[in-house]
Amino acid sequence: MSNKPAVCVRIADDLLATGIGEASPSAAERVGRHVAMCGSCRRELEGYRALEGAVTTMRAVSPPNEQEAQARQRLETRLTDLRQRLLAYRIFPSPLGHILIARSELGISLVEYLDRGTSLKASRLASEPGVETAEGGPDLEATYRDLMEYLNGRRQRLDWPLDLRLARSDFQRSVLQATVAIPYGAVVSYVGLAHDIGKATATRAVAQALRWNPLPIAIPCHRVIGASGALTGYAGSKLGLKQRLLTIEGVPTTKEGDGPAIRAQAMYVLYPGDREYCIPTCPSLDTRTPAPVTRFGSRRHAEAVGLAPCTTCRPDLHPISR
Amino acid sequence: MVMGEEAFSAVVSAHHDEIFRYLRRAIGPAGDAEDLSQETFLRAYRAYATLPKDANVRAWLFSIATNLAKNYFRAETRRRRAYGEVQGGARSAAITTQEAELLSREAGGLVEGIVQRLPFKQRLAFTQRKIHGLDYGVIGKNLGCSAESARAHVFQALRKIRQGLDGYGLLPGEPAQ
Repeated sequence: MSNKPAVCVRIADDLLATGIGEASPSAAERVGRHVAMCGSCRRELEGYRALEGAVTTMRAVSPPNEQEAQARQRLETRLTDLRQRLLAYRIFPSPLGHILIARSELGISLVEYLDRGTSLKASRLASEPGVETAEGGPDLEATYRDLMEYLNGRRQRLDWPLDLRLARSDFQRSVLQATVAIPYGAVVSYVGLAHDIGKATATRAVAQALRWNPLPIAIPCHRVIGASGALTGYAGSKLGLKQRLLTIEGVPTTKEGDGPAIRAQAMYVLYPGDREYCIPTCPSLDTRTPAPVTRFGSRRHAEAVGLAPCTTCRPDLHPISR
Repeated sequence: MVMGEEAFSAVVSAHHDEIFRYLRRAIGPAGDAEDLSQETFLRAYRAYATLPKDANVRAWLFSIATNLAKNYFRAETRRRRAYGEVQGGARSAAITTQEAELLSREAGGLVEGIVQRLPFKQRLAFTQRKIHGLDYGVIGKNLGCSAESARAHVFQALRKIRQGLDGYGLLPGEPAQ
């Protein structure tokens, strides 16, 4: 190549570009003029054109290829496996500190208050066996917005599909499922919840199950309180947050005494299995076997779940005044 | 649709075979192209949710595949050095007569053989440009160089292939052997 005349060396790039059809019209014209006079460059140009033809046969996709189809099949299998294990997460700085939200293909899997840092390392996901994590997309922003609207009292329902696979046991799952059913603006006791799942003596286990609730707020464990009315515990030591969530829902609370508690005397009462709600001093309640009740902060929220005012104490005529 | 799975299935259907073929040429017949191709798509799936909606998915897959091919090539080079295998000699673009006989007598088959002997970057640049028709800008990004350098790599590759075909009577205007 180095023995070529200078003019051939100068035009070499344009000649190649012309041969493979990438030259500008003016360059192609220059090359055309040159090869008309230079036999060796003309042969070279024809060589590139022929090469282009050979490349075209390489480019042509051979008819459906067994090897490729089988490889794709095996890839699909691995993707299915990954899909089932993958949790997409995002971390949001919020008024409550950093919150991690994760979702799987089935639904929202985790809402976590990050106490120990602002990255994935501070999350329980970092040590969750069998789980793969990946940064999530914009859909999680919408989930976060729902959550903030809820915390600001502008939303009463989080209609998210939930994935309870991060629950630690079937028992915990059953507790979480029963908790989802507690209506907005209502509270039940740990004892009551234990009754609901048919394990009346498992109060402590129920409390433990809620302590590790992977989906706080979405699964409203803040609506579960001590039998005495004390708020008892929330997400480790976030009793203030529990009180705030209940206040948003119209549940009257007080901070006097040993710690935050609901004001049971200022709440409407639903006896298990009834379809009518009462004021706490309703005479009909005295005649019944004591049982864990559901309490509502307001008539509105009781009636929102289809309950009617009791025909004995008539809360519709004598509402509780606060 | 959760996490864009349906969309990702479409990505697999649309691009798997092409990425697989690209990797087969990129790492050569001795490498496990299926393994790298699977890894390409598993990585892509993990990152798919964060990919901007207007991204060029095909170019993105090529960049993931190219990175994996580069890592493979680096590891392979280290392994060869460790085992004291000769490395330089096999890199020559020229092929021997015996090898040529093993290859198909037609130009396409010969070109395939020569492509396997190109220096790694030229091989990637040639394959991306001439087989898959990617832009020089995209190829440059994949290879970590400018569009101009990407074009230079492709041109170098084409020169070597043309020279490698010299003497086989497969290109017009040349005397048969």
